[in-house]
Amino acid sequence: MRHLGAIAQRELRSFFLSPVAYVVLALWALLAATFFLASVIAFDSEVARLSRLGATEPLAQLNLNDHLIGSFLFSMWFVSIFAFPAITMGLFAAEKNNGTEELLMTSPLTIWEIVLGKFVAGGAFAAIMTAVAAFFPALLFVYGDPEVGKTLAGLLALFLVSLTYVAIGGFASSLTRNQLVAFLVTLALLFLVGLMIPQLVIFGVASDALGANSVLVDVMRWIGAADHFERMLTGLVETRDLAYFAVTTAIFLLLTKTAVESVRWR
Amino acid sequence: MGGTAAGTLAIEASGLTKRYGEIVAVDDISFEVGQGEVVGFLGPNGAGKTTTIRMLTGFLPASDGNARIAGHDIFTEPLAARRGIGYLPETPPLYPEMTVESYVAYVASLKDVARAERKDAVARSLGRCGLLDVRQRVIRDLSKGFRQRVGLAQAIVHEPPVLVLDEPTVGLDPIQIREIRGLIADLAAPRDGGRRQTVLLSTHILPEVSAICSRVIMIHRGRKVIDQPLESLLAEQGSLEAVFGRVTSSDSLEPVGEVQ
Repeated sequence: MRHLGAIAQRELRSFFLSPVAYVVLALWALLAATFFLASVIAFDSEVARLSRLGATEPLAQLNLNDHLIGSFLFSMWFVSIFAFPAITMGLFAAEKNNGTEELLMTSPLTIWEIVLGKFVAGGAFAAIMTAVAAFFPALLFVYGDPEVGKTLAGLLALFLVSLTYVAIGGFASSLTRNQLVAFLVTLALLFLVGLMIPQLVIFGVASDALGANSVLVDVMRWIGAADHFERMLTGLVETRDLAYFAVTTAIFLLLTKTAVESVRWR
Repeated sequence: MGGTAAGTLAIEASGLTKRYGEIVAVDDISFEVGQGEVVGFLGPNGAGKTTTIRMLTGFLPASDGNARIAGHDIFTEPLAARRGIGYLPETPPLYPEMTVESYVAYVASLKDVARAERKDAVARSLGRCGLLDVRQRVIRDLSKGFRQRVGLAQAIVHEPPVLVLDEPTVGLDPIQIREIRGLIADLAAPRDGGRRQTVLLSTHILPEVSAICSRVIMIHRGRKVIDQPLESLLAEQGSLEAVFGRVTSSDSLEPVGEVQ
């Protein structure tokens, strides 16, 4: 694994030598600021509304974590569904397009060094994005007193879902030499398979005669990222949710390794 | 890097075959290249040169047959075999956004040049390829001839026992061709204490072979048709052009000329 560092480092450096990284980071920061402001305004107006009604009970229930940071991080998760395909589209597709795939495959490297090196680079970028997002909830610690544990659990959830997206996007990128194709395939996987289809099945079928306990609903609840993500936002760091992120990441890394290796099968 | 015991053959290919379904791209090719030999690997476009080279360099697995690079079996010791090769593919494998120096340093780390020696190895390789003046330039901004030099620099950075060059002058203008050819001749010339670089030079440009190589291996339709020292081949057949013309005009799949 001694080449892993060299591959990760080059990949990360190349992110910042291309405009894509800057555009994604700028949009990410801008959207984070926007959604944070929106969450603050929503929270503020809710406080004002409940005060006006004199609803002391619900007012006491209102807190920065559940009613501000939670909705902010939920919005950022939604943004990440569109951001990560752009980050990962070039991971392997660019190597095919540059002809550098031939350099990697004829160097004394293992396929895992290549795949994990690129995953580490994508993971480092995900860490930067999580840190940018973390800046906004951090502001609240200056003006209020959110729970540290719950806030960190939420940020961890955002980071873990990002890692999963890096693995999925890397896989899509390993299938093609065309970065746009990689982008669209990743978007389809994250948005349709990871969010829309599970939500439609859960809400469609649950209201149906099958009932909420059907196996299909359970499967969809597991496949979709929403359930796992939301549970962590409430501060619960549970094994089943950590396992979801770990297993999904591992499956897609394994698929990527197989896809990269497959040039040798031709 | 990848030290070679004296007396070991640089390249030992035996019965290399590549099949794509029904199509046989490379058919039972065997040859040997001794240490310090500069061998021209000739054939018309589509003869199977690149496929053969890709099997030797470990990019494609052979359907049949085997090869050893500096004594290392490409199937059972793939990493050691790959470490023994410096390879310039037909399209130089460059990252356009990187600078020349950082790119060559990256390849040095991939090829297991020890960290402590990396800086020297990169400087030496850039120097030999005439790239010291452009070391800080971004590869994207270089001319095609200079990109080819960068391709050569990455191939020699780990001082491999075997250098494999696939059509290194394709797509260059006449001046660039002369420069790259001169550079390859320099790389192939004996240096520090008479040590010679083993080179397998794939090309379909005949003057390139007469200028640099001491032996010719010619393949046609996936089969080896000639394997002979350049001098004796020229003595028998007159010119490379004549050999090439006869080989490529024959529709027969049988070997043409004397195979040694």
